[in-house]
Amino acid sequence: MSAPVLRLKGLTRSFGGLVAVNNVDFELPGGVLHAIIGPNGAGKTTLFNLISGMLASDRGAIYLYDREITGLASYRISQLGIARTLQIKSVFDRLSVFDNVWIAAHSRARFLNPLKPARSYRTTADKVEKILGDVGLTELRNENAGNLSYGDVALLEMAIALATDPVLLLLDEPVAGMSHAETDRMVTKIKALKKSINIILVEHDMETVFNVAERITVMTNGSILTEGVPDQIAKDARVQEAYLGQPEEA
Amino acid sequence: MNRRNNFFLVMGIFVSAFLLAAPYIVPFFLNTFWVNILTEILIWSVFAASINLLFGYTGLLSFGQALFFGMGAYGVAFGLSVFGMSFWPAFLLGVATATVTAAITGIFAVRLTWSYFTIITVVFSLIFYLFAVGRKDITNGDDGMAFQIPPVFKIGNWQPSLLDITFQYYFVLAIVAAIYLLLWIVMRSPLGYAFIAVRENDKRASLIGISPYRVRYYSFLLSGTLAGIAGVLFALFSRYTTAQYMFWTVSGEGVVWVVVGGTGTLFGPALGTALLIILREELSVHWEHFLILVGIIVIITVTFEPSGLMGMLNRWSTRRRRVPAEAKLSSTTRRIAGS
Repeated sequence: MSAPVLRLKGLTRSFGGLVAVNNVDFELPGGVLHAIIGPNGAGKTTLFNLISGMLASDRGAIYLYDREITGLASYRISQLGIARTLQIKSVFDRLSVFDNVWIAAHSRARFLNPLKPARSYRTTADKVEKILGDVGLTELRNENAGNLSYGDVALLEMAIALATDPVLLLLDEPVAGMSHAETDRMVTKIKALKKSINIILVEHDMETVFNVAERITVMTNGSILTEGVPDQIAKDARVQEAYLGQPEEA
Repeated sequence: MNRRNNFFLVMGIFVSAFLLAAPYIVPFFLNTFWVNILTEILIWSVFAASINLLFGYTGLLSFGQALFFGMGAYGVAFGLSVFGMSFWPAFLLGVATATVTAAITGIFAVRLTWSYFTIITVVFSLIFYLFAVGRKDITNGDDGMAFQIPPVFKIGNWQPSLLDITFQYYFVLAIVAAIYLLLWIVMRSPLGYAFIAVRENDKRASLIGISPYRVRYYSFLLSGTLAGIAGVLFALFSRYTTAQYMFWTVSGEGVVWVVVGGTGTLFGPALGTALLIILREELSVHWEHFLILVGIIVIITVTFEPSGLMGMLNRWSTRRRRVPAEAKLSSTTRRIAGS
């Protein structure tokens, strides 16, 4: 039995009096796409911030496979194989789409050679082209990231995350604010990805969650309420009360 | 792209040709001291480039680059007058002094960003400035240290020295050109990309595995070294150094050159330096308060042309080139339109 991809033990983080993430124990065995849902303020994004090292936890521990990553800087965590997208999309606005992905693809190199032209790294360039092709941004490769539509920025962020060859991908509301066509593209992309990468998805769009997730964790008020397969979750009375019962939530 | 590239190619050839021939052309229509002013512009353009590397490319506004400039100047002055070194060892001592100072202060400075970084750079340069002013026994303070310059090298009977203003000009031009070439190479390299990534979005950069701290440190170090080289050259050029070179207003002047010339562009800082030094030379004789004009230029630049003279030239050279409307469409729109 190999170690779980990700394991959280008693993870806690508060902001002033508010306990955003409260004593969370969680295990991601790997191999299935795992979604975390919950009403606004449940602590989902804070949880992602803790895992990716953007926030320090007050208590508890985080393990990637058997390695403890608690308290590491986010760039170290990225190098160990966790990539994430952000709820508020975040790319390098004044760089081209290609360069955005190039920087991510090259970030695996330990040494930033100051004298060799970036353009001369053939394998990196090939990798970037392949990823751009996969997410469908090849046509926009020379466009400045700041000029992209919202849906394309989300795809670019995904491409950036993939370029770092992650073992675990944290997707924070990947379809929020997207049109139907854009959502469909993203869902297709996520379904294709889950075959090769472990994914944790935080999402408010229930249609998307129940469409792609194989396992769902429900969070409320910083704690885990329950966990199960989508059918179980949909029938769970507590979940309905806490979340699904509220019409037009999110 | 063609029109723009052609414009800059022609400009580049013209400026290079002028710089290469300047000592022989300038005396035809200007006083010979303009060769020295040109030398001075070249030296200060390296100082401006060092500020631009931090500010324009890495997103860190330093008002303390004069510290490294002053360290370079003192390093070479000590090498020549106190330690009795020959030319190149003294030169390298100056550069090394500046680099070591940057290596130490950088550890603390690049932990901060934004205004906090700016403030700590001012504080560091003030600490060293006050030390240099206070310890007259070592630095000669405000009075400064004058020194003799040995020949640059000896080949048989040929011992060229910076006392020959034409040789001095070409000596400075060669070093400045090499520095700009180096910067051009670095900015195309993975390190240059990392500088820009950190400037654009340090959160995203760290999420893809780049350490913003380390990248900022490299930039700070390289920038300090360049400011140090400028200091060495300026001390050699003046045969003199003073604690005043470390004062923060020297840094501030450099920032002004960079902003007016165009931050984040390779040659913008040189352009700004040239314009404002020529302005100073022309006006300061007739008008004591010419700095008012510099102030107005800065205000106009940051208000109407934040990308500086270089940005203006860029736009001007592409004026008639329309951006194809299609390029603005997203892939989604195109896909829908195309289906």
